[in-house]
Amino acid sequence: MSARHTKFYLDKQNKKWKGVCAGIADYTGVDVTIIRIGLVILTFVGGFPWTLIAYWLTAWMAPVKPYEMANETPEQTKFWQGVRASPARTVRDVRSRFREIDRRLAEVETYVTSSNSRLAREIESLR
Amino acid sequence: MEDVIIPIVIVGMLFIGLPWLVFHYITRWKTAATLTNEDEKLMEELYDLARRLDDRMCSIERIMTAENPNWRSIACDPAATGIEDRTVGSTAPRRIGL
Repeated sequence: MSARHTKFYLDKQNKKWKGVCAGIADYTGVDVTIIRIGLVILTFVGGFPWTLIAYWLTAWMAPVKPYEMANETPEQTKFWQGVRASPARTVRDVRSRFREIDRRLAEVETYVTSSNSRLAREIESLR
Repeated sequence: MEDVIIPIVIVGMLFIGLPWLVFHYITRWKTAATLTNEDEKLMEELYDLARRLDDRMCSIERIMTAENPNWRSIACDPAATGIEDRTVGSTAPRRIGL
């Protein structure tokens, strides 16, 4: 089975301690620094043992990001973050891209067909 | 009598009601719309296809623009340009593809 893009992984490439925060950042698309600061603040505000327990449990249970997913382009990363956030919206985006391509192709087609007829008319007038 | 009923109710709520609630939401969450593996592959494929088609359209449009910079206006309204051509046709016919 190939690597799935809609699962949570530990991001060992950008890790500070175990890669949980980097994994959350990679999963959601939020900046990793904000998540780390948020976690630290949450720990100080009152979640003292619980955030650490949650962090440790996540680090223990979540799989490490597969090797073949490590070197994807920023565009791909962004695309999959969008898919994880809202698959329906991504489907709509892809469909709108196809419609855009269809429209541009129709423009080219109109030009090519009309210019052929114009060319024929010009040849006709030269006779 | 109440001393017997209240603990039974509480224990019942704790050991039946609570797990019921939890599992109810777990099953709801599991059956909620998630992407299957095939969906994911399909999505990736379509996205790649859209990107490649986009690139191809870009290169074709570049070629067309290099051939004839105002092909877009001709494509948009062939009738108008046709009428325009007829007026200037005797002096300088517009060349296409040159």
